[in-house]
Amino acid sequence: MTSMATPLRTAGGIRRGDRSKRERVSVASTTILLLGALYCLFPVFWVLTASTKDGSELFSTFTLAPSTHLWDNIVQLTQYRDGLFWRWMLNTALYAGLGALVSTYVSALSGYVLAKFTFPGKSTVFKVLLMGVLVPGVILAIPQYFLMAQVGLTNTYWAVFLPQIISPYGIYLARIYTAASVPTDVIEAARTEGAGEMHIFSRIAMPMMLPGLVTIFLFQFVAVWNNFMLPYIMLGDDNLFPITVGLNGLLNQGATAPALYTLVITGALLSVIPLIVLFLLLQRFWRVDLAAGAVKA
Amino acid sequence: MRTSLRMRALASVAAAALLLSGCSAGAGGDGGGDNGGDSSGPVDLNYWAWAPNLDKVVDIWNTKNPDIHVTVNKQDGGDPAITKLLTAIKAGSGAPDMIQAEYQKIPTLVASDALADLSAVGANDIKDKFPDAVWNSVTLGGDAVYSIPQDTGPMMAYYREDILKANNLTVPTTWDEYAETARALHKADPKVYLGTFSANDAGWFTGLSQQAGASWWSIDGDAWGVDIDAEATNKVADYWGGLVEEGVIDNKPMYTPAWNKGLNDGTQAGWVSSVWAPGVLSGNAADTAGKWIAAPLPQWDASNPSDGNWGGSSTGVTTQSKHPKQAMEFITWLNTDPEAIQALIDTSGIYPAATEAAAGALTEPPAFFSNQPDFYDVAAKVAQTVAPFTYGPNVNVAYSAYNDEFAKAAQAKKKSAFLDAVGAMQEITTADLKKSGFTVK
Amino acid sequence: MTLLAPPKAPADTAGSPLGTRSGRRRRYDVRTRIITPYLMLAPGIILFAAFMLAPILYTIYLSFQRTQVVGLGLGSGARKQVFAGVANYVSALTNPEFAASVGRVLLYGLILIPTMLGLALLFALLLDSRRTRAAGFSRISIFLPYAVPAVISSLLWGFLYLPAVSPFYFVFDKLGWDVPSVLSSKLVLFGIANIALWGGVGFNMIVMYTSLKAVPTEIYEAARIDGASEVQTALRIKIPIIAPALVMTALFSMIATLQVFAEPTLLRPLTNSLSTSWSPLMLVYRDAFTRDNIYSAAATSVVIAVATFAVSFLFLRIVQKRAFGQED
Repeated sequence: MTSMATPLRTAGGIRRGDRSKRERVSVASTTILLLGALYCLFPVFWVLTASTKDGSELFSTFTLAPSTHLWDNIVQLTQYRDGLFWRWMLNTALYAGLGALVSTYVSALSGYVLAKFTFPGKSTVFKVLLMGVLVPGVILAIPQYFLMAQVGLTNTYWAVFLPQIISPYGIYLARIYTAASVPTDVIEAARTEGAGEMHIFSRIAMPMMLPGLVTIFLFQFVAVWNNFMLPYIMLGDDNLFPITVGLNGLLNQGATAPALYTLVITGALLSVIPLIVLFLLLQRFWRVDLAAGAVKA
Repeated sequence: MRTSLRMRALASVAAAALLLSGCSAGAGGDGGGDNGGDSSGPVDLNYWAWAPNLDKVVDIWNTKNPDIHVTVNKQDGGDPAITKLLTAIKAGSGAPDMIQAEYQKIPTLVASDALADLSAVGANDIKDKFPDAVWNSVTLGGDAVYSIPQDTGPMMAYYREDILKANNLTVPTTWDEYAETARALHKADPKVYLGTFSANDAGWFTGLSQQAGASWWSIDGDAWGVDIDAEATNKVADYWGGLVEEGVIDNKPMYTPAWNKGLNDGTQAGWVSSVWAPGVLSGNAADTAGKWIAAPLPQWDASNPSDGNWGGSSTGVTTQSKHPKQAMEFITWLNTDPEAIQALIDTSGIYPAATEAAAGALTEPPAFFSNQPDFYDVAAKVAQTVAPFTYGPNVNVAYSAYNDEFAKAAQAKKKSAFLDAVGAMQEITTADLKKSGFTVK
Repeated sequence: MTLLAPPKAPADTAGSPLGTRSGRRRRYDVRTRIITPYLMLAPGIILFAAFMLAPILYTIYLSFQRTQVVGLGLGSGARKQVFAGVANYVSALTNPEFAASVGRVLLYGLILIPTMLGLALLFALLLDSRRTRAAGFSRISIFLPYAVPAVISSLLWGFLYLPAVSPFYFVFDKLGWDVPSVLSSKLVLFGIANIALWGGVGFNMIVMYTSLKAVPTEIYEAARIDGASEVQTALRIKIPIIAPALVMTALFSMIATLQVFAEPTLLRPLTNSLSTSWSPLMLVYRDAFTRDNIYSAAATSVVIAVATFAVSFLFLRIVQKRAFGQED
């Protein structure tokens, strides 16, 4: 785990690394950073200890003192309505993982066209798409439900999967990234060789855009994972729930049966772990400066 | 041979389609599915419910009735389930066949044309199984039957007997005594409260107002009346506002982690609640089992006992269901059959509305109250004194106004703010009715 | 000034000799030039039309409708939808609850955005400083909350805010301090801002940090030779260079602020200090679902969306000119 921007400026990074050995360590700035890290880690630490407690300990013992029931809680959570929790995890992987994958492809294709083709209406298309960035999901969820109901797709996987494929922000990023990383000469050269447009896109442009695509994927993954309203409204069958809606339901029921609180907390812990792993794995490709890079390009 | 089979198959499909369209036209026309779909062949029914372990009870039905298979879709709770149902009704598809509906939601559901009239499929045959007052709340006083009662929630009060004893206090029987007890308890230990005023639980406050004689809506010909800001409700608001202002009653909402902790460590030494409280307490504060005592609500007039209702629900069939007849068969079993009722009591922990069928099943007290063998005798006694109450078509609005206005009042800890909150509820509820185009008296 | 160094093109694209078959390939005619891009845009445009444009248009349509009730309004056919003119807009704009919720959210934004971006910038500069240790650990830790959905983060902080179950208040209690509850009406705004800060500071930090990394080291070198201190370098060189990144993060933070919904909604059951109309979107949600008045909710949604456009448009114009000016 070296610098997140390694692929970007490897040489610069190394040079700076060498030089840093000569610098005096600043206690103040290191302390400030560590305080920031502590602030961000504390609630995570709290979940970790809370998930080791059983129902009565949760409300009776000092909240940061760990107990020994983590495994019991995981077993209980697994047993809750025949492993429903793991079904929610799988659903989330489907909605967020597969959804973000498809979304990234659509965004990449649209962004690529908007960056590399000149055609009438291009500017309008782009501006209309961009306005989508500003529309909140909460507002969209209700009319989306009505329209889904017209075609009888509510309470299905499609109801949550389809609306989240389109990502105006993803298209915006893809356009910037194409402009920055796919040289027009390369496309022209491929065209003169007679390569089809889709072939050029998928075989030539996509590999060049890969680090940017990882970023778009992660953004969309987090966006789907965070979108609570859409699945909450669309789904009635809890076998289709993603983890957030499922845990929220458990939390609501926890008000009357607090034994469920420990399950919610354990579930929260278990559900965040895969996401953290995903981020750590993909962070070497991570190119968040896209948004900023756009402005500077 | 083959051709004729095929023809017959086609014909039956066509017939089914005709029946279906007839059914939906019927549902649209007179609110009932009188021809109920084809009864031959197995059907799948979807049931949105949130009562704990209801799926286990439904399993009993499913093993016995392979032709009418019921799938329970577990919901988060009463409000989210109704919200989703209303959205599905508006959208024209996506609703389940059956829904667990709290009594106060029925007028709203009927106003949105979400519930089918079950009188067409024989609902009146089981009328006698339920107390008249309960039956009234599913007919809204008319000829249609919109839902079948499942359980009721006569209010009861619960106290930590050990804590009362340690302070030489007894169970209060009137609200004056309740106030005195709250003061004495809080004085002895400033951390301890006899109860809390919860701005999050509109149904709770409604039940308390009902006990005092309030009825928040009324029907006068074609006009609705809103009577929230009336003497009875103001009496209740004034009483609790006074206790909160004095500081002897807590002002934090119920059903929070903090409140749960209070039940566990004895800083919440009592709970004005309902007959279903044992289920909640055994989940919240399992270690305090045997330390509680259940009693009727304190009274305003001890010589004329009265009670309110908090919770309880019914089973309705939605207007989008294509099989109201089969649904009714299942609902009849679920809410009146002795085996189902026994299972509802044992696994879901509810207090059934079908009183006679339930009497045989309610001989033992709930495990959490094993110290109180007469638990269900107390419950049966108070259930008979539940005062009449009419719910209107915008209970949701009144309840959300309660949340907002009483939250402000509880935060302010001023008696006058509690009375203002009642006035604001009246205003918001009336304004909403008028805005929606209802005739308001 | 291209600060974004494009990665090297993979070797395979340059593999085949250029131009050998160019003679046989006819040049693109106009029709291909128009049809091909639109065909390739089709998935994006269709999905956009179906799942964003259509719902938006439908919302606008609903915002001009209302319910008409016949008699007691019970049973089927007792309610129908009729044209309402601008009545829903009039009542949305004159609703004091709406004005109050907008006021709260503006205050919330004024507290949250400068704090979050200020801290993110501070952390990013410290990460970029050569004199800081434990940078890798801090960077990952501060970024971590971005992976936690609002539903879960609100649950966590809710537990940490409730005096009865919070370890903080346990400590305060032992120290004999009387600290007011974060969920009390005066502090709840900070409580919500804190959850958003916790979830957002890491993301913004990473955006700024990666732009800092993209600055050529030669620029710093020159400043060092001129005798500039590290603080001076940060203030005079680094911050101006990443100013565009700051603009972008500010824009996205503003949009997110106007849309705050999940955190206050999930904290509401824990306290008396949050109303069901605390933020504009909570008001929309309440009207649509709790009060079953989608028409009024639709009108309020449209008002919020237009306001969001208005607020963002100035930003976008500036950003767009600088970002795409060379392409369009």
